Amino acid sequence: MPAITKLVLHNFKSFGDLTLQFDAGTNVLIGDNETGKSSVLLALDLALSASRSRVETIGYEALLNQSAVRKFLAGPARLDLLPEVIVDIFLEAGDDQGLYGRQNSTGADSDGLRMAIVPLVEDFGGTILELLRDNKESFPYEYYAVQFSTFSGAPHVSYRRPVRHLLIDSSRIDTEYAAREYTRTVFGFHTQVPDRHRLENQYRQGKEGFQRDNLKELNATLVEYQFALRTSVRSNLETDLVITKEGIPIENRGKGEQCFIKTNFALQKHDARGSLHALLLEEPENHLSHTNMKRLVERLTRTQGTQLFIATHSSHICSRLDLRRALLLGTEQKAGRLKDLTESTAEFFMKAPDNNVLEFALSNRVILVEGDAEFILLEHFYNKHAGTTPQSDNVHIISIGGTSFKRYLELGKLLGIKVAAIRDNDHDHQQNCVENYKASLYDGARIFADESNERSTFEIGLYLDNQKICDGLFGGARKTLTVQDYMLKNKADVAFELLTKKPEELVAPAYIQEAIKWIRA
Amino acid sequence: MDKSVIFAVAGSGKTSLVIDRLSLDLRALIVTYTENNYRHLRHRIIQKFGTIPPNITVMTYFSFLHGFCYRPLLQLELDTRGMNFRLPTNPRTPLSDMARFRDGSRRLYYNRLAKLLEMRKCIPAIRARIERFYDCVYVDEVQDFAGHDFNLLLDISKAKAGMTFVGDFYQHTYDTSRDGSVNKSLHDDIIKYEKRFRDAGIKVDKTTLGHSWRCSTTVCDFINAKLQITMGAQHERVSEIITIEEPEQAATLHADPNVVKLFLKEHDKYDCHSLNWGASKGMDHFEHVCVVLGADTWKRYRNGNLHEANPQTRNRLYVACSRANGDLYIVHDKLFKPFKKAR
Repeated sequence: MPAITKLVLHNFKSFGDLTLQFDAGTNVLIGDNETGKSSVLLALDLALSASRSRVETIGYEALLNQSAVRKFLAGPARLDLLPEVIVDIFLEAGDDQGLYGRQNSTGADSDGLRMAIVPLVEDFGGTILELLRDNKESFPYEYYAVQFSTFSGAPHVSYRRPVRHLLIDSSRIDTEYAAREYTRTVFGFHTQVPDRHRLENQYRQGKEGFQRDNLKELNATLVEYQFALRTSVRSNLETDLVITKEGIPIENRGKGEQCFIKTNFALQKHDARGSLHALLLEEPENHLSHTNMKRLVERLTRTQGTQLFIATHSSHICSRLDLRRALLLGTEQKAGRLKDLTESTAEFFMKAPDNNVLEFALSNRVILVEGDAEFILLEHFYNKHAGTTPQSDNVHIISIGGTSFKRYLELGKLLGIKVAAIRDNDHDHQQNCVENYKASLYDGARIFADESNERSTFEIGLYLDNQKICDGLFGGARKTLTVQDYMLKNKADVAFELLTKKPEELVAPAYIQEAIKWIRA
Repeated sequence: MDKSVIFAVAGSGKTSLVIDRLSLDLRALIVTYTENNYRHLRHRIIQKFGTIPPNITVMTYFSFLHGFCYRPLLQLELDTRGMNFRLPTNPRTPLSDMARFRDGSRRLYYNRLAKLLEMRKCIPAIRARIERFYDCVYVDEVQDFAGHDFNLLLDISKAKAGMTFVGDFYQHTYDTSRDGSVNKSLHDDIIKYEKRFRDAGIKVDKTTLGHSWRCSTTVCDFINAKLQITMGAQHERVSEIITIEEPEQAATLHADPNVVKLFLKEHDKYDCHSLNWGASKGMDHFEHVCVVLGADTWKRYRNGNLHEANPQTRNRLYVACSRANGDLYIVHDKLFKPFKKAR
């Protein structure tokens, strides 16, 4: 299987320059909106397909990096400064000399495929210059052309695709084009070329038979003009094929189900010749229920022999498929760093209950809290003590439950995230909150906890600092439990009640105020 | 790694030798000079395997030179647009100037591309490329390698892969390319020619393909005697050498569709089953052959010093005579004049 090892983009959509290393198995692309997850899949899809018409349909204007265009228009109008789009796909070493060479942007010898969108300077240089002289604002997209080649410099033609791939984009999943494209591709790798031609031929013959036998009577009544069946590129076996499940065409099923069926069908194992080399999945979580998403992830983890590229917003998909496979896209270009995560931490995130690992990974500044009660009150405390909302400061508050701080700190350290971790001292501040984290802390991470061992949990601190309010709210007719004990037994409810009934007077314990101050600094 | 050059005589089965050595186990690259031979080799491979197996690649020399050697290494760096097959007109441009190798529209002069690869120190990378993808390299029509191309061939033959070059010194009728005085006298002397291979560590084998399957003992003897080109016959088979003196005989021959008439040039003016000497190279399906001699060669033929004709003429004449499976007719072209059409 020719695995894709590396992708180098230059002036492609939002990327000025980007290099991504890929794993031969699974690759999960994560990132905020607009960070270019879809662009990476699109770049792979276009360069692997080598389809000029697809590129032209999307348009050079949409593919050429706009800041490169602006930069060109702001500078001198010289032909040699016209920007180019480069997509270089590096492949695992194979047997075909026609793929191997150094005709790529790194100059290194490798197997690979290249897509370049370049200005046709030789043919239209003069015209382009005139155009730029006449209107300094307009960019000469019309004089660009796309070229597909291999790293040996030979042309790469679409009928000889060395990497068989399929893109399933759940946001376009029910468009007619996507459905036909999918059916065509899947039909393509389920059948060998000679069989395909035979089936196509038989289908046409069947139509001719129908025309001959069934339309005969009708046509006999006509003289000059006759009825016949269409046989053309828009009406043949490939266009008429649909995929059904239990007799129902999958197009007629829900979008979520379609995504699942299509992925599953595409991944079915075949003999080596016919199998799919790379599957590109664009946000498979769209339209999927939680249950179906779990089924999908379970299906994906069983995949063998097909390299997966999954762009996702879902923490579930991302962590269940092994965080170390995740490639983070973002302005900070932290791409590829998650593979350095220790195995035990990666395992932890795979096994732990659904978590907020993606939200954490995509943040710059995070306050980690231990439980629901802290989570419920923290935003309020933040507003009160900082005078602004955490969102406007770009601070995320994440409740991680239990004691997985060290796991998150490891991830935070890898990604350079500023983390304030707020925890209880559990009666031994020195041991639990200082010694315990000695190996895990880094420049941008600190533990905040009450130093007084008597104030062992959040609720105790909260009660002692807001005794009057709490006694007023929870004292009343209570007989068996003290207010303090009641608060400890009903943490989340108490927090919610405090937040709704006495927000004005409530004060945060000192260590939480400190944490808020520190994270903003 | 066996490295050898096998010198063959006409009709001794050069192509068959290459085809027989191919298998599905070893990765083989076959390079040949002419398009004709390229098609022939592809055809024979398909006959043997039913298809072109993925482990076997056939290339013409220039697709090898440009597509295999040059393009993977230098195309982006030198920003070129393919090859220019016209001879450059700038013999004085120094080697250090790219204009010596690349024309104004960024095409590469075909006859200097091999030199460019050497200048750019690409030889080790080309060897590595061969080693990565092939276990053995076959070069057919090796006698046509000339100019810088011959030097490149010897340079890359040091790659760690089997090298089998096949050719017939006397069938040297075309050159891959020429550039000034480079290897200009390469084909003047067979002894010196063979030495070039030996010096490069390539074994010279003149026995494996020293006997012709095609030609009869009579024709082989004729070629040995008249052209002084050593050639043996596989079969003890006798045919006839017939020298035509009478116009009536010539007219019969002219009209006979079973005898191909081979001319030095302008065969198409004689309105019969015919070819030029040079173009008959590689052809194997003629039973009887009639070789038409011009005034000068006829005189030499009569005087018994045909072998002293200029090498190019001698070589083409050798190609023409060795086309015969059966009888060989020799005729003076004045007897064919009556059939020649005015332009």
